[in-house]
Amino acid sequence: MSTSTTDLTPDHDDHEAVPLLERMPGRGSAAAWPLALVGAALLIAGSFLSWSFPDDVLGDLSVNFYPNGLQLCVVALGIAAVIFLLAYRGPLSRLGDWLDAASALRWIGLGAVIYMAATIIAIGWQTGAILNVNPGGWITLIGALLLLAGSLMLVSRNTRDPLFAKTSSWFEIITIIVLLALVLFGAAYALGLEDAVSFALFLLFAGMLSMALTKAGVFTWLGVVSQKNRQVLMFGAFAVAFLFPFTQGGSDENMSIATQVLIFAATALGLNIVVGLAGLLDLGYIAFLGAGAYVGAILSNSAFATIGWKPPFIVVVLIGALVSAILGLIIGSPTLRVSGDYLAIVTLAFGEIFRFTMGNLDGNNGPDLTNGPNGIPAIPDLKFGSFDFGQPHEVFGITLGRFANYYFLLLVIAAFIIFVFIRLNNSRIGRGWVAIREDEKAAEAMGVNVFGLKLFAFAGGAFLAGMAGTVKAHHDVSVTPDQYIFLESAFLLAAVVLGGMGTVAGVLVGATILKLLPEKLRFIADYRLMIFGLVLVLMMRFRPEGLIASQRRKLEFHHDDEDLAQRIEEVHLEEAEAKA
Amino acid sequence: MTVTDTPAPPTGPSTPDNPVLQARGVTMRFGGLTAVKDVDMHVNPGEIVGLIGPNGAGKTTFFNCLTGLYKPTEGEVRLQGEVLPPKPRAVVVAGMARTFQNIRLFANMTALENVMVGRYCRTSSMALTSILRGPKFRREEEATRARAQELLEFVGLGNSTESLARNMPYGDQRRLEIARALATDPKLILLDEPTAGMNPQETKQASDLIFRIRDSGLAVVVIEHDMRFIFNLCDRVLCLVRGEVLVEGTPHEVQSDPRVIEAYIGGGDDEDEEAPASTTESTEEQQ
Amino acid sequence: MTEFLQQIVNGLTLGSLYALIAVGYTVVYGIVQLINFAHGEVFMIGAFGALATWTVLFKGQTGLWVLPIMVLGAVLVSVLTAVVMERIAYRPLRGAPRLAPLITAIGISVFLQEAVRLFYPGAKSKLTFPEIEVVTGSALSIGGLQIQRAAIFTVGALVVSAVLLWFFVNRTRLGQGMQAVSQDPDTAQLMGINVNRIIVIAFAVGAALAAIAGVAQGLLNSNIDFRMGFLAGLKAFTAAVLGGIGNIQGAVVGGLTLGIAESMATQFIPGQFGGSAWKDVWAFVLLILVLVFRPQGLLGARVVDRA
Repeated sequence: MSTSTTDLTPDHDDHEAVPLLERMPGRGSAAAWPLALVGAALLIAGSFLSWSFPDDVLGDLSVNFYPNGLQLCVVALGIAAVIFLLAYRGPLSRLGDWLDAASALRWIGLGAVIYMAATIIAIGWQTGAILNVNPGGWITLIGALLLLAGSLMLVSRNTRDPLFAKTSSWFEIITIIVLLALVLFGAAYALGLEDAVSFALFLLFAGMLSMALTKAGVFTWLGVVSQKNRQVLMFGAFAVAFLFPFTQGGSDENMSIATQVLIFAATALGLNIVVGLAGLLDLGYIAFLGAGAYVGAILSNSAFATIGWKPPFIVVVLIGALVSAILGLIIGSPTLRVSGDYLAIVTLAFGEIFRFTMGNLDGNNGPDLTNGPNGIPAIPDLKFGSFDFGQPHEVFGITLGRFANYYFLLLVIAAFIIFVFIRLNNSRIGRGWVAIREDEKAAEAMGVNVFGLKLFAFAGGAFLAGMAGTVKAHHDVSVTPDQYIFLESAFLLAAVVLGGMGTVAGVLVGATILKLLPEKLRFIADYRLMIFGLVLVLMMRFRPEGLIASQRRKLEFHHDDEDLAQRIEEVHLEEAEAKA
Repeated sequence: MTVTDTPAPPTGPSTPDNPVLQARGVTMRFGGLTAVKDVDMHVNPGEIVGLIGPNGAGKTTFFNCLTGLYKPTEGEVRLQGEVLPPKPRAVVVAGMARTFQNIRLFANMTALENVMVGRYCRTSSMALTSILRGPKFRREEEATRARAQELLEFVGLGNSTESLARNMPYGDQRRLEIARALATDPKLILLDEPTAGMNPQETKQASDLIFRIRDSGLAVVVIEHDMRFIFNLCDRVLCLVRGEVLVEGTPHEVQSDPRVIEAYIGGGDDEDEEAPASTTESTEEQQ
Repeated sequence: MTEFLQQIVNGLTLGSLYALIAVGYTVVYGIVQLINFAHGEVFMIGAFGALATWTVLFKGQTGLWVLPIMVLGAVLVSVLTAVVMERIAYRPLRGAPRLAPLITAIGISVFLQEAVRLFYPGAKSKLTFPEIEVVTGSALSIGGLQIQRAAIFTVGALVVSAVLLWFFVNRTRLGQGMQAVSQDPDTAQLMGINVNRIIVIAFAVGAALAAIAGVAQGLLNSNIDFRMGFLAGLKAFTAAVLGGIGNIQGAVVGGLTLGIAESMATQFIPGQFGGSAWKDVWAFVLLILVLVFRPQGLLGARVVDRA
């Protein structure tokens, strides 16, 4: 009950849209609705026509009446637009009582225009001539423009707050299932896109559609629904994650990305305990993953392992986690005296000391434990009994390769970390952490064991990261010090900050974005760090609570926003009622 | 309750054998400055004791010595005969809770959660219990919630349990702070200017609440500037001036003592001596 | 003994570098209680500014007369970076929770490093810093001590900067405005001091000194690299804390102390854990020890509550 994990605040603030709206001629005119409808119809119709003359641009866009994925995205936008138009006026107007259809339409229109413009530019650019764009493409663009113009002329109806919409539970559960299925399907489709422009276009589509749904207020309602049906949602999300490898048809390429995302996400979730729940900034967190990985490597069957003892893997996992947790205790111990920025720097220094030390312990500078800068290579794949993680396996006729094997193991670990995270958050310990974040001195004066709880956050977070690390060693095949540089810690922190401090969903989203985008958008590969830095700055400036914010974090970052506080209280009451 | 081995306190008309709180010879020096000098104070069970004094008299410093924020340079503080360690948390665990002069609630938590935090030191679920959620955890969580609800009702906030603390009206926040302090199961509660910024009606409600707390068996110590409030409320009043106890006695005795009137700007309308929000003391409190 | 004195000389050189950078942390902290962790990158940018000035205007020249212009170029680029950084990234965050400016600083750091790496020609690997007559070249040998020419420049730059800074803070209206704001921003504002302007000045002053340090570093190492700001920034931050953050004299004392300590540790920690391999580890250990046990610094002028 203490924190709800979704962002339910509807955007009352049409700050960006309002000035444009005032200037839009014909605002409120009777022509607006039909105009938008015509636009939506053209959007759908145009997408069924050929967009491009050559058949090798962005997949095949050249065939009439056989839309490919990119065209289907536009069809989806068109259908969404029609639904919202009918909600605005017509048979679905009961829906329109709750949702701000006009705002949603504006975003769909805007999205469609940008999408089509980008597509046409891409076709023209890749084929060298804008003439290669077939009429279908132009018709769709015109449809998009009409939809945008029409929707800008529409006046938002006074809607009731979707927060208080009461819906039957079977409808809610079906919605959740459909959404999860769409996520699975969308993820599989997006990962299957080979070329970066198509991928970027798909992201644009997904982003704009989400934005439209947010503006309409759908997510406000979804937030309450997901609180009410948490078990369904969690189980469903896990099922989706579990099913994902089966959509990849044995391809290792995407599974490799997916396992990296999982390792990263699992570690970031551990960090979120420290940062998001306990409110302590740890800039050396990668060291805990590293400690786990080194333990995994040193106790493995690698010929380069420096210790002869080869215990079973489950023991290695425990040792890795414990070594990490002990490091966590050491790194956390200064919290007794240091907090805030200074603590952040102390943790950064510990992280660097870890890396230097691992790079030094090669027998010349100190005892030989880690082989120095060369690290420990040739770590064999895991074997559970006769199950060899290095070998592909057939399940239901679908081949699951090496990475898929690790994926399932990591999924279990990630699920465990999520489980721990949620349970700790909703407990006496979690309340103590919130109290410490809010007012450390007051918490101490109310009998909260501040130092103990901080130390526990460090040790607990480190324990979980250490676990992930032992698997990472086998997954990566080798462990070297330069995998654990400060920048990696910054990345982990960025996943937490970008996604949303203190939420599970947020960190999963943040981790996915940070690991997936650079892999798929090769053309930004070289700029990825620079963009990353810029994103951190912009996030702190414009949305410090993260994409999927915890309500409480949002309040903390906007401590003088009275309206927000009132709103969040309403949401809280609604959720409390929904759960009861 | 343990029987104290200290001799009977030197002052005070009614002196049972075992006062809840016993401060003896508390002295606090900051460098060359003596903020509190040789203060004795005792509080008996079920008693409301007031602490007054002009600005800068050392009230807050003395208060901080009691609550463990400062370690007194000399002297000792005993709660039910046990010497209090100078650590705020240990003081709470020993059975003395406090409120703050400038409200320090956990602003982004609900009223109920605020009070539940107060239960922290009386509950024991640790990591494993919290993760595994056995029957013990459920029972304890249930009890914590029930107790918090009960306390909110006790202070008259039974209908605002799910309100965010920061959204609550000022008077309610003060009461919430008291509920949070009560949640730590104290033997004695220290109230630091509980009526600061309140209107007469809220002040009346506050004194009713304090009486009810007393009637539930707790001892209460109140620091206040509002003389009328404190003289109506307290069984006994200490007047602190320049770090020393100037007068101690019944409200009537203190009220009519010429030295007290002298101390409050040499006369007249001491009752309305609403000192401007004492910035010096609040900075002291921040350490 | 000579060994010892040699390490003192090395330490003073290193320490002067740290001190020049540390002033930037301390001046800004004194005014806005903000630790600008991107300050190391301002130092790095200064070095690149100097190199760019030389490359564009004087490529091939080695005369001493180009040095002042290189320093000027460095100062301009650094000051511009710092001022823009303050205006765009930090100013909107005033009053935000402490976490926000810290994360912003990490973002700025990464952004600036990458911007230099990507857009400065050839910066993906180390770049050679020009040799300048008098201040580079064969080391001077005085009484058995080897003293690099650039080291003399570095120490000299610190002395000159310190004197100018002292004059600025104590003898000019702006400097006195700075002192007023650092003591009580609200009152200073009421007295008609433009606090925003003072903050910008503080960033600019710190950046100018960091730029000079950047030039000195280039001359000392004869090459520069887009990553050079990270470690130098952290060490300078340690120096600032060691001297008592917010205290300008402290930054100088702290820088010199840290420099000498580091040189001594490298030379005199015996056995396998000594030597250059562990040099940075000991620097970080010192950083932790200072932050944990002496957060108020050696001089401890300004009491810091970092809660």
